[in-house]
Amino acid sequence: MLEISELRKRFAAAPGATEGKLALDGIGFTVRPGEMFGFVGANGAGKTTTMRIVMGVLKADSGSVSWQGKPLGYGERQRFGYMPEERGLYQKMRAGEQIEYFGQLHGLSAPAAKKATDDLLERLGLTERRNDSVESLSLGNQQRVQLAVALVHDPEVLILDEPFSGLDPIAVETLATALQERCRGGVPVIFSSHQLELVERLCDSVGIVSAGRMVASGTVGDLRAAEGGTLRVVVRGATPGWADGLPGELSVTGDRHTLLVAGGDDQEILRRALKAGHVEHFGVEQPTLTEIFKEAVA
Amino acid sequence: MNGMMLVARREIGTQVRTRAFKISLLITAVLVGALAFAPKLLDRPDSYTVGTVNSQQLPLAQAAPDATFEWRAFPDEEAAKEAVLAGDVDAALIDGVRVITDGEIETELGVLMQSTNREVKLGAAGVSIPPLQMQSVGADTRYEAARTGIAVVLVLVLFMLIIGQTMMVAMGVVEEKGSRIVEILLSSIRPWQLLGGKIIGLGVLGLINLGTILVVGLAASFASGFAADFPPGMAGIVAGVLVWFVLGYAFFATLAAALASLVSRQEEVGNVMSPLTMLIMAAYFVAFYATSDPTGTLATIVSFVPPFSSMVMPVRMAATEVPLWEVGASAALMIVAVLATLSFGAKVYERAVLRTGARVKLGEVLRAK
Repeated sequence: MLEISELRKRFAAAPGATEGKLALDGIGFTVRPGEMFGFVGANGAGKTTTMRIVMGVLKADSGSVSWQGKPLGYGERQRFGYMPEERGLYQKMRAGEQIEYFGQLHGLSAPAAKKATDDLLERLGLTERRNDSVESLSLGNQQRVQLAVALVHDPEVLILDEPFSGLDPIAVETLATALQERCRGGVPVIFSSHQLELVERLCDSVGIVSAGRMVASGTVGDLRAAEGGTLRVVVRGATPGWADGLPGELSVTGDRHTLLVAGGDDQEILRRALKAGHVEHFGVEQPTLTEIFKEAVA
Repeated sequence: MNGMMLVARREIGTQVRTRAFKISLLITAVLVGALAFAPKLLDRPDSYTVGTVNSQQLPLAQAAPDATFEWRAFPDEEAAKEAVLAGDVDAALIDGVRVITDGEIETELGVLMQSTNREVKLGAAGVSIPPLQMQSVGADTRYEAARTGIAVVLVLVLFMLIIGQTMMVAMGVVEEKGSRIVEILLSSIRPWQLLGGKIIGLGVLGLINLGTILVVGLAASFASGFAADFPPGMAGIVAGVLVWFVLGYAFFATLAAALASLVSRQEEVGNVMSPLTMLIMAAYFVAFYATSDPTGTLATIVSFVPPFSSMVMPVRMAATEVPLWEVGASAALMIVAVLATLSFGAKVYERAVLRTGARVKLGEVLRAK
């Protein structure tokens, strides 16, 4: 289990300013083995800073990160896979050699690194590109190489900062499939993204960050339950004023009356609606992650 | 250690494959080879063509055995004059008493003709003069020209290689920092492994370059016959050059890596490196001056002061005889300086290389705990 608790980080003050920006204000969450954790939040909320602290690229002012009950150190991080926000590859180096190189740096023997590279290139559909220099690859293919670099040493944990940004739908699918495979193999995966539908579809649990704090976290189902559904009633040809005294918002287009209610006595509403006219629709709508997110960071 | 070697191997592997590396190696090899043949081509023995009218040939070849002389007889002064003006002959001896030339006579030929003529006339009168005995009481200057030549080439080669490889280190550091590769690298290896590997890798490339220059230079010198002028102890000079290159490169490259780690963009490299570039230039100028005055006070003192000693000492060693203790003491001082630079440079690099964005101030890095 990867446990991140009470991380605080204030950046050095800019010249002239008395205090630097408070990037993290006690953020904390845990990710279990085999869990895919989606990290969402506005730009500057603290996602990247958190990931960089987990990877040891930055030092937190306080708080801790532990893996399998032990504080995370250099040795453990060597078995992590990391994809930084700004992509880092040697532009002039060949794709295959680059993946092998990082495999060896993570401690693989030369033949093992070669084998792992061959497997990954095949799985990511890059076998043909093995000897092409990275700069000659398309953005999508560069991103695949970047993912391969994070995966080559069969990491115990995956930390990916915006792995899906700028990818076409097919590349997104390839990447998502690769991550799901690792996840099923028991690897905890943390990734940040602004594509909330994707997070909703892929992730077992979600953490919403705002101003350096975790404002909501849990499974998507939990978050929905906490947020509560919205009752949507559509009545055709209702007599005006039928919804007077009922909670919620009524909107009328032509002879269609739509009532949106959060909470309230749904049975009473149904009775009133049936009396008022022809009920076309009556149901509770689950909030999307986008709605939960907007609500949480508001 | 393993990580450091992997980094070094990558540096060598990627650079050696580039077209730029191969071409520059080829160009230096050709240049150095040509240089070894240059003395032979430029220093050809003098040759003169002298005309005669009603005169005996003078025994010029006897007086100047290195030069070659060709004699041509003309029927009268008019014909000789024409040949002189046309440049067919350098001078013409008329009736054994006059010499005609086109403008001023070449000094060497003039002196030669005068003295030979005098000797011939005196000999005919029965006077014989024993030639003057020449003896040097100063240092053996037989190899001076060759020594100076070697030193001049050496200072250029050392300067080019040190500044070239040092720049490569700086650009490599910024490439990794700017693209954030360093974030992935440093989650698998330690900063000193990355820094050390890069410096070693590019240093090996520098040595490959230097080795090529030495091998080609020596081989061409033997082929051209220039090697005959080599001063004694040439093997020591060659070994010294290699050692001093390694020391100088280690010093400057470490500082370059430290300075480069302060910036995140290639455009800023030149700016942040300028103090170091100036230091290397200063060492180059002093070393160049030392080629003309290798025994002077300035050259002697500076050949002990790191990092200047890394360029001045090898030049002194090539240009003149340097006592072994002086070389040893200078090398010891330089090694101390390199070790100090390594510890300082590694500290700056480690603290600055992950701080991407605006240029990091050196003072800030040193103050941070």
